Amino acid sequence: MTESTATPPAQPPQDPAHPGHHKERNKWVFIGAIVLAVILAIILLVTYTQHKHSAEAASKARQLQAAMVAAGYPEPDEDTLIAIFGRDGGAVCKDPTGALNKAQWLDNMANGAGGPGMRPVIADRKAVAAEAIVISVYCPDHLQAFQDKIDDLKTGTTVRR
Amino acid sequence: MTSMDVPLEGGGKQAGSAKTAVRTAVARPRLTWLTLAFMTTSSVASLRAAPTMAVYGLACVFLYVVPAIVFLLPTALVSAELASGWNGGVYNWVAQGLSKRMGFLAVWCQFAMTIFYYPTLLGYVASTIAYVIDPSLASNGPYTACVIVILYWAGVWVSSRGTSGVGGMASFGLIIGTLIPGALLVLLGVVFLGQGNPSAAPMDAGAIFPQWTGIASLVLIVNNFLSYSGMEMNAVHVSSLKNPAREFPRAMFLAMALVLLIFILPALAISWVVPAAQLSLTAGVMQAFDAFFQYFNIGWLTPLVAIGLVAASLGGMLTWLAGPSKGLLLISRQEGYLPPFLQKLNKNGVQQNILVAQGVVTTAIALMYALIPSVSSAYWIFSVITTQVYLIMYLLMFVAALRLRRLQPDHPRGYRAPMLAVLCVMGFLASVAAMIIGFVPSSQFGSGSVWSYVVIVAGGLLLLGIVIPFGFLWASKPSWRQPDAAAAAEGGA
Repeated sequence: MTESTATPPAQPPQDPAHPGHHKERNKWVFIGAIVLAVILAIILLVTYTQHKHSAEAASKARQLQAAMVAAGYPEPDEDTLIAIFGRDGGAVCKDPTGALNKAQWLDNMANGAGGPGMRPVIADRKAVAAEAIVISVYCPDHLQAFQDKIDDLKTGTTVRR
Repeated sequence: MTSMDVPLEGGGKQAGSAKTAVRTAVARPRLTWLTLAFMTTSSVASLRAAPTMAVYGLACVFLYVVPAIVFLLPTALVSAELASGWNGGVYNWVAQGLSKRMGFLAVWCQFAMTIFYYPTLLGYVASTIAYVIDPSLASNGPYTACVIVILYWAGVWVSSRGTSGVGGMASFGLIIGTLIPGALLVLLGVVFLGQGNPSAAPMDAGAIFPQWTGIASLVLIVNNFLSYSGMEMNAVHVSSLKNPAREFPRAMFLAMALVLLIFILPALAISWVVPAAQLSLTAGVMQAFDAFFQYFNIGWLTPLVAIGLVAASLGGMLTWLAGPSKGLLLISRQEGYLPPFLQKLNKNGVQQNILVAQGVVTTAIALMYALIPSVSSAYWIFSVITTQVYLIMYLLMFVAALRLRRLQPDHPRGYRAPMLAVLCVMGFLASVAAMIIGFVPSSQFGSGSVWSYVVIVAGGLLLLGIVIPFGFLWASKPSWRQPDAAAAAEGGA
């Protein structure tokens, strides 16, 4: 499929006068970055708290399972729901309609780009609505505001189920 | 942070050429082809989109493969040919194939689209960290503003130290933040199926194609072309390779394979394990990863993956900081398109003043994004406008590639793309299609008027992609040119 020519293009210019100097200084930047990453990793590992099993968490998880099935979604695993949402819904219930959270979930309704090619699409209706079910179980106080926000969205059916 | 020009490589042996290089040289530390491949991969691919695409189940393969055929292949092969023959990246290809003004427009479009990208990228980084530490931080404006500003300027500082540092950090970010977690996701996904568990998403032949419901499906498929945007960007560093003619195409082929694997396999693995209901598009990337690892009772990996995603995002950001701004510098030095202040280099030969000027604008935008709710809620519109602007660059690149084959058929190229005309026409048409689809209102616009949307996007495209770059061209002065720079920058031509 490829075809190479024998003649190479112009050779690149030479390195700067002190390539070793560059390398040495970059080495320290690199080491600094690794140290910072390790420190951040330790902080995250220490602060990350997994939701514990409790009667209330299990009850909420079963409620969510039932609500999901009733809405036509496949039944999610109970233990996983407990671990993610716990008793209070975890991250889902932390100001779900706040401007920055909304900006993030609006960003997620995008194509498959991982870089600057990210661009909004017409999101799948059920993929958007699932979160409302979670909110209805764990933090119903937020439901109306959240529902209003997603009702404003233009959605389609782009996922084959 | 002082600005100065770089001493000539080779010391003071050749006084005449030294004078030239003092004005023109941009630091060219050596990069290996592997590093360049990793930089390219880091610029384009990450795991950020995996949960979003996992929603589509098996159809995500279709959604990545079709755009790969019509857009990734033309972009990668055409830029491999151009970079194996001409130094400098897209500005020089378009300048040689069309005109210098069009060359400036091309690199401007590549540069301008990133300005609005950084706040959302770093906002995502802030929310990723917040998910683990304290999810309520994700909606905290001052926290988000601090994370964005600190990380952005740290990125500028690293970029101002030269390309090799950027290459190393981007490779590091790619490995720990994309390749290792991606491989882990795939491995666990295979284990999940190997244990006899049914896939959470249908994997039969009928699930290969996405649901077809007219315009929504068309928007999804065509917009996915842009998933591969950025493959050509790192060609600006081609002169840092030992043997660009042979090594750049090699880097491009490896990057192409990695990008496809990174996009497709982790998304598939997530769709096997996590039911679509838990992949809600409003739930956030980290929740999907958390659900995945919690299923295997290894939830403690979530914070480590969060670190990886942060590292990968920052690595990708570094490549975008270092790439387009360098192209902008090179053509501006050649033709005097930017004021002398912006043409200056620091002691490492990096376009520091362009980076700082860009940083000031980006900081202002980022602060508005983080602190003004109406801006953050409507920020998504900028990603529509900037991707439209970026497509102008692709249109110019494909036309330039065709013309260069015709105008300079004997110019030595290390690699000649097969069926270049077909590739260019296909890439051009794909870019036109993506541009047209960019005018179709997305979910976020809700029930607003279609024409309002068209006017906003067209207005943004006109302002950012036409008025501003031609404003620079109009304001440019012959005295801003550095003729010696032109000779060096066109070295590959």
